[in-house]
Amino acid sequence: MLLYSVIILAVAVFFCAATVFFCLRYLRRAFDALDGVLDRLLTREAGLPAEITKENRISKLVHKANRVLDAYVTEAAQVSTEKETIQGFISDLSHQMKTPLSGITMNAELLLGNDADDLTAEERSEFLRGIAADAAGLQWLMEGLIKMSRLEVNAIQLVPVCAPLKPTITDAIGSILAAASAKNISISVDAFDDLYVKHDKRWMQEAIVNILENAVKYSAAHSRQSHAGGKITLSVTTLPSYTKLTITDNGAGIPRGEWAKIFKRFYRGDNAADVAGAGLGLYLATVILEKQNGYIMVDSVVGEFTAFSLFLQNC
Amino acid sequence: MSILIARDLTKYYGVSPNQVKALDGVSIAIEAREFVTVVGQSGSGKSTLLHMLGGLDVPTAGEVVIDGHEISGMSEEALTIFRRRNVGFVFQSFNLVPILNVYENIVLPIELDGSTVDTKFVEEILGTLGLAEKRYAMPNQLSGGQQQRVAIARALASKPSIVLADEPTGNLDTKTGQDVLGALKMTAKQFKQTIVMITHNEHIAQLADRVIHIQDGRVKSGGTQ
Repeated sequence: MLLYSVIILAVAVFFCAATVFFCLRYLRRAFDALDGVLDRLLTREAGLPAEITKENRISKLVHKANRVLDAYVTEAAQVSTEKETIQGFISDLSHQMKTPLSGITMNAELLLGNDADDLTAEERSEFLRGIAADAAGLQWLMEGLIKMSRLEVNAIQLVPVCAPLKPTITDAIGSILAAASAKNISISVDAFDDLYVKHDKRWMQEAIVNILENAVKYSAAHSRQSHAGGKITLSVTTLPSYTKLTITDNGAGIPRGEWAKIFKRFYRGDNAADVAGAGLGLYLATVILEKQNGYIMVDSVVGEFTAFSLFLQNC
Repeated sequence: MSILIARDLTKYYGVSPNQVKALDGVSIAIEAREFVTVVGQSGSGKSTLLHMLGGLDVPTAGEVVIDGHEISGMSEEALTIFRRRNVGFVFQSFNLVPILNVYENIVLPIELDGSTVDTKFVEEILGTLGLAEKRYAMPNQLSGGQQQRVAIARALASKPSIVLADEPTGNLDTKTGQDVLGALKMTAKQFKQTIVMITHNEHIAQLADRVIHIQDGRVKSGGTQ
């Protein structure tokens, strides 16, 4: 009896010991593998292809570690791309500021120069108007830059809330009406039932105004050539989860090849050379829409129309 | 960093003289977190290209490198596992499992991999795609647009290296298609996901950071950044 007990006990102890031994060995191997993965992360080495396609936990870990490494490398690359963009931006910006600044300098020199006494009252006010216009241009550029930088560093938090869309649209139109009628451009809104859409009223208004400003600018350029007057139409369509606001003008149009480019920062179309602007308006509108979980699209036929569609989430 | 590279991809069907060159030396590179559209007429080879990129079909010649790993050298089994972990697919025909509900469909690829579901992440995706209230619905109780949103959620849930979308709006009317596209673009941005989308529609293509044009099995423009 005693003998049996001793044998059973010995067998039990043996199995326990074996279990503990294998468990420890498994753990040690797992930790070693984990250690290897972390080493690779630290030294940023490329992965071992064989390891990531096995049906076991270590393989899954290696796979995830690779993804972490990817994210790290990508972000580092993005920082350097961003650096290049900023360098390009500074050179663009100095170019943008040069023209109005030299205009101001030239007009001021004329007003203050030796022949200033001979100037007629009419000439004086013309030079002064020139200074005012250039200063206004600089002011506009400055405001755009400030908005852009604040949006980009998230200094401004857009708060999209469920709010009626109609007042946002009418207020935006209100602020562009004077500029439009000065160029004999009519603005009309297709009738729609007012509805609640997730948006930040103040910023959405800004985005709409940016699009309308473009429409006014480029419609004017077009209507000089043709006898038809400028016309801007706004319409609202409801989709299953988005509401679409479309702003259509009968201006110069945008060639298909440029559709994807015009939303980029500081992009200026080939046919925009003779129209004042910095390539900020559409970019700002894009950022504003994105910050409200919306998006923006363009459709156009050169010489016929341009339609920008702004998509906002339904409530 | 290029997350996906195709070098000299070639796919021939049949034998000469009746040989069809679906792909004829296509080289492209997709950068991490890029949203790229591949545009071409039907028959241009764009769907064939997507199948090669996702390891669903084997090229006649050339190689595909996803996240630093050459997939053409992998065994069938290794490729299956690799694809499950690294590639998310969104097809024209949704391809949801009819007997599973929305949530189960979304986490299916993760569970197939035997991994633990990152429930917080899945909840976030559900919320972003407006599916939070539909989580227990069955696919046949959803509209086409909603089904495609579920397919997008499923592609994102396993945090793949890349999402490949083949005409995701092809089976939807214009309005719904517009809606689904918005969702795709928004989620790509929010979840920092790299996406390659195939389409024949230039209007849709503009939503991308870059457009690659394919014609007669060759890259016409936009192959690299």
